[in-house]
Amino acid sequence: MKPAHTYLSWRIWAVYAVLFGIAIPWYWPADDVRMLLGFPLWVVVSVAGSALISCYTAWLFAFRWPLDDEEDAS
Amino acid sequence: MIAAADTIPFGAGGLLFIALYLVSLIWIGWLGRRARQENTLKDHFLGGSGVGFFVLLLTLFATQYSGNTILGFSGKAYRIGFSWLTSVHFMTAIVVTYLLFAPKLHQLAKKHHFITPTDYLAHRFHHRGLNLLATLIMIAALANFFLAQLTAMGRVAEGLTTLDPQTAFTWGVVILAAIMLVYETLGGFRAVAWTDMIQGGILAVGFAVLMVLIFKEYGSMQDTTRRLLQIAPEKVLPPGSLALKNWVSYIFLLGVGAALYPQAIQRIYAAKSSATLRKSLALMAFMPLGTALIAVLAGVTAAAHLAGELQGAGSDAVLGVMLRHIQEQSLFGHVVVVIIFAAVLGAIMSTADSSLLSISSMVTKDLYAGFVRPDASQQTLTRLGKGLSTIFMIALAALAVWLNNSGTQLTLVQLLEMKFDMLLQLAPAFIIGIHWKGMRSGPVFAGMFIGLAFALSFFWVPDKGEGWMTAIKTSGFHSGLYAMLLNAIIAVAGSVILKRKA
Repeated sequence: MKPAHTYLSWRIWAVYAVLFGIAIPWYWPADDVRMLLGFPLWVVVSVAGSALISCYTAWLFAFRWPLDDEEDAS
Repeated sequence: MIAAADTIPFGAGGLLFIALYLVSLIWIGWLGRRARQENTLKDHFLGGSGVGFFVLLLTLFATQYSGNTILGFSGKAYRIGFSWLTSVHFMTAIVVTYLLFAPKLHQLAKKHHFITPTDYLAHRFHHRGLNLLATLIMIAALANFFLAQLTAMGRVAEGLTTLDPQTAFTWGVVILAAIMLVYETLGGFRAVAWTDMIQGGILAVGFAVLMVLIFKEYGSMQDTTRRLLQIAPEKVLPPGSLALKNWVSYIFLLGVGAALYPQAIQRIYAAKSSATLRKSLALMAFMPLGTALIAVLAGVTAAAHLAGELQGAGSDAVLGVMLRHIQEQSLFGHVVVVIIFAAVLGAIMSTADSSLLSISSMVTKDLYAGFVRPDASQQTLTRLGKGLSTIFMIALAALAVWLNNSGTQLTLVQLLEMKFDMLLQLAPAFIIGIHWKGMRSGPVFAGMFIGLAFALSFFWVPDKGEGWMTAIKTSGFHSGLYAMLLNAIIAVAGSVILKRKA
């Protein structure tokens, strides 16, 4: 029987690549001093990206847990 | 590395609270003993048929978040500023990594009654050399982790009393280690997991209090950011290219390495059901936002308001200095300080006790029963496990005290600090091996061995000069990652070649 879900799908890891791509502050100008809510803007975006990663991960665990009866890999 | 406040002696009320807290841990150990179902290894090391959602969540939390999360993370944020948001990312990455192997490993563990991480490797690869190598890697990494927690206990004790620092350190290590040993010997995994509920609970409260404190005592974040921008702009501006490489490297090194901590793997085994595990992991995904992020904000706040009070390695004591400021102000300040100290103590002890239990499980089951006496009875092995916990505790506590009092730097201890570089070498066997049936034991062993040797060899490579190894070491990515890549290539390519030959 084919498993209903698997965490090895390339789509899942493509989403992670995008989310980490947003969260890691690689694309900001070195002298960016813009602020939002009292924080540097890049910090707000980085934390928001991290929060999205948490939400996506929680969703995967809660609703996409692999339900397979597949025999182990031994 | 971790230094708590060195000048916050508690009053009688504070010390009584801490004493009651410590006594309650022993009481829980006794409750754990009463709940014992049978005198077996599985009962002692995994709590029998497993733990439910609430206990699992708090034991995962308390085990994964050590004293370093509060003291070390805030200290580093004090030194480098907002760029230490890296810690929020790598703590999240640990949970993401579980997607890659936890569901299947849990399923296998339940079916085949695994107790130690090596049980999985033995089941999957049937290779005694691999079992031995992996066990030694895990024991070495955990021994270092355990030693660091014992040292942290001594540092916290230094901050609790008016005794001279060396005496306080020694007594702190001895008393706290003895308490852990008592409750762990009494109740095994149950005692460790149930005390984690208290320790994890007070840790969560500690972080919440810390957040209130940052905003209440030091004004708005806007003020903090502006002030820091004037005195140390590099702590506010986006990180440069080398720091970014380091950022990505940390996500892989700690995200994957810490997910492979043996005590974390044993908690995957110990989950009562897959529903329990998946709910706990789903909530664990949010923990970095309520912990590491707060520690970073505390460090940044200190950098803006306490600039210049701490320098270099001593800056890990930044939280202690903040607490001292707060304690001087009001009765509320006193209460806050006691709660945060209890939280730090909880974080340290919960990490230490689970490391100790994990080490003794591996020595008992994987080394003694695996190589010396495979026919030993469950009762003999359980008794041995408890005896080994005592021996390790005494030996490592004595080492922690000796290292502190003599100021000695042992090469072995420094080498073991590369624990994540070492643990990362387990990744191909666990993460690829669990999914790919074609993976063969010989190449996996060769990859792990060569990867480990390669990672450790960087210890002796100079930081400056010519040569490709120095270039790797200064590339911004941890050497353990290069070693893991080499390890994975050997394991995968070797397996493919063997398959073609067959």
